[in-house]
Amino acid sequence: MASPGRRLALGAVTLAADLRRVLGADRVSDDPLERHLYGKDAGVFRGRAALVVFPETTEEVAEVVRIAEEHRVPVVARGAGTGLAGGAVPEEPAVVVALTRMNRIWDVDLDDRTAWVGPGVINLDLSRETSPHGFHFAPDPSSQSACTIGGNVANNSGGPHCLLEGSTVNHVLGLEVVLTGGEVITVGGAAPDPPGLDLRGVLVGSEGTLGIVTKVLVKLTPNPPDVRTMLAAFGTVEDAAATVTGIIAAGIVPAALEIMDRAMVEAIENWLHAGLPVGAAAVLLAEVTGETATVEDEARTIVEIAQANSAREVRIASDEAERALLWKGRKSAFGAVAQTAPDYYLHDTVVPRTRLVETMGRIYEIAAKHGLAMMNVFHAGDGNLHPLIPFDSSDPEAWEKVQKAADEMVELCVRQGGALSGEHGIGREKRDLMPLAFGEDDLAAQACIKAAFDPSETFNPHKVLPRGTSCFDRAVPIPEGAWI
Amino acid sequence: MTTGDTVRLVEATTPRTAELPPLERVSPGSREELASLLAEASASGRRLLIWGGGTHQGIGYPVEADLVVDTSRLDRIISWEPDDLTLVVEAGARVAEIEAELATKGQTAVLPEVPGGATVGGVVAAGVSGYRRCRYGPTRDRMLEVTLATGDGRIVRGGGRVVKNVSGYDLPRLATGSLGGLGVIVSVCLKLWPTRGFRATVEVEDPAAAWRRLYRPLAVLQTPRGSFAYLEGVPDEVVAKADALGGRWTEGHQWPGPPDGEYVVSIRVRPSDVARAVEVIPAGWDYVAQHGVGEITAAGAGSDTVERLRTWAESRGGWVVVLWAPPDSPVDPWGTPPQGLDLQRRLVGAFDPARVVNPGRLPGRI
Repeated sequence: MASPGRRLALGAVTLAADLRRVLGADRVSDDPLERHLYGKDAGVFRGRAALVVFPETTEEVAEVVRIAEEHRVPVVARGAGTGLAGGAVPEEPAVVVALTRMNRIWDVDLDDRTAWVGPGVINLDLSRETSPHGFHFAPDPSSQSACTIGGNVANNSGGPHCLLEGSTVNHVLGLEVVLTGGEVITVGGAAPDPPGLDLRGVLVGSEGTLGIVTKVLVKLTPNPPDVRTMLAAFGTVEDAAATVTGIIAAGIVPAALEIMDRAMVEAIENWLHAGLPVGAAAVLLAEVTGETATVEDEARTIVEIAQANSAREVRIASDEAERALLWKGRKSAFGAVAQTAPDYYLHDTVVPRTRLVETMGRIYEIAAKHGLAMMNVFHAGDGNLHPLIPFDSSDPEAWEKVQKAADEMVELCVRQGGALSGEHGIGREKRDLMPLAFGEDDLAAQACIKAAFDPSETFNPHKVLPRGTSCFDRAVPIPEGAWI
Repeated sequence: MTTGDTVRLVEATTPRTAELPPLERVSPGSREELASLLAEASASGRRLLIWGGGTHQGIGYPVEADLVVDTSRLDRIISWEPDDLTLVVEAGARVAEIEAELATKGQTAVLPEVPGGATVGGVVAAGVSGYRRCRYGPTRDRMLEVTLATGDGRIVRGGGRVVKNVSGYDLPRLATGSLGGLGVIVSVCLKLWPTRGFRATVEVEDPAAAWRRLYRPLAVLQTPRGSFAYLEGVPDEVVAKADALGGRWTEGHQWPGPPDGEYVVSIRVRPSDVARAVEVIPAGWDYVAQHGVGEITAAGAGSDTVERLRTWAESRGGWVVVLWAPPDSPVDPWGTPPQGLDLQRRLVGAFDPARVVNPGRLPGRI
């Protein structure tokens, strides 16, 4: 009798053969290197792909799902692999469905301000395509030059400008999705409020656990007529955070409000020379958009609030080149960390904006307590923190300390009334932390959603919800004749 | 500049309110009381009709119920954090009262502008939005957290009280427009917006052109009595825009009430089809068309007209949802069912296994 491992290997061979009948030999890979590469995202976890497939059409994705279900092998959808929470890392040997070849932009409709796009379209490519016509795709994660729209949908991605514009879910009007059994449905559309439950809303942010999205109807946002980008330098991080709270409290919702701390500013300046004020404890990057009178009025108020919170220096970008340089500094922050340490652990948590000042102070205390360095660059305007801990993963003790500190930071944020993740998702990274934020019944309700969509547990299993979470154990007797 | 009398504003009518059916009625005073009522109903098979302000009871298939559960005693503001722009409020709170309270600090939850007696829970459950969705998006985009009492009497919470959150499945959005399919909405956390500056209502000749020309107006509405753009912001800028649009404007926002008639329907089409939809609406029907959004609320007589409007809208990828119909109406309230109906049935079944909350109201008689 064959060992379990042997049986699995034989299964993989027939699975590969079935998939090759649909996709051809060149789009089903069992190459060890490819399986290794597709077993990881940009975060710290590693899994292993049984096979990697590269479908090009919706029908092919549906066939892949059908075949995988027949073989009882899970499927894990994947875009560019820029996720940080292990969402695209197979937890058990799975067919990794790389959607990068489904990268067409169809039907850019400027009258309706929409576009149908493939999940493999790169975020920035969409805005580049539509920008000459005066529109863009609003979600702008720092990885936007690499990440895909499908990945944005899976993680409900944000970015600096979602303070004003909202996250991906606010910019997705419709989805074509492959469900269990290879069923293909379209939910939502260009017309508002379709009848029935909002399946579109629950699919966005579901991290590939409910189905595979094969087409996305995105909303295009008009480019603002005018913009002011300003920078304020502070002697303490608390002063910068208080400025953010003050701006929101003054009734201004800027396009973006970003804070970088001293360590981060130094790392960026060493590399980019963007003219950021080195030596300041914190730098606030604020941007307001709209018509000229509005942006001037709001910029004036923001400068006043920054000065009232002891800003050492406030400057407004004088032209587009200076503005672009400031944003380049912000968006390349994570790359700049490479000069500090070979690895970094990047966190993503949220607190109510009124708790920013207190929370920031305590996050620095946690890092100091564990003897860890820490850099911060984050979406302060919506309370979305990104503490970044540089470390060397070849030192096992360092990694242990990093994890411990990271868990304490999450716990702190949840206790402050915050959330586990603002834009990176739960994936595998925070799956077991979900009980910090939700009770048993809350998690069971989420498991009900998973079970209704994916009864065979084919789609990206063991993500988002802790192992063992299941839909309600029905204690309530069901009356005779009731429909279930 | 021209103000005041020269602008013929639309009269703000009061929204229609349904009459309570002649059934026993209970008003739970706490979420625990509500949950045990639901658990008992699931055990006994007693069917419940959930009642807020009665302003959206015409939507969906008629519910055959044994008992009315009204949410009027669940009406507290649980927390309002003006500096964080969030509000946690119980379902039975009246929209008019909540918005009046928020306005004292220059904030809004962007709930419907002419709510009548509508409750927050009713607006969320019906999935309706105010006219200002043109600028701020629909109600579901402000749903940060929801607490539900499921059909079988469990209290579950999804989302969180922060403005940005990806922690599990988006139960708050799923609950929006669910019309009781997941249970009864107990409370919600809403994202708020500041309302700043000077307001103007501007009369426009060509509303479609006005929408295309303006950068993010609050709303551009077309009615048989005139078309209006609603602006807000820095005074100089608002006045300059109003003058550029034709110069007939008045200070403040005066919103039209919903049209009323034998049938009241919501025509939902792609935004670029709004002008065409208005042309398809027969003479004698009243309407409010939202440019840039794609929703036209229309009212008038004749089931054949509703069917004709629906055939046209569905041929253009849209929908016609009946908001009010006479009791003997032959018109289906939803039209062609959406895709994924089996999936919707499974979701509803998971939250309300005995199907006791507003049974049969959703598309597919779920």
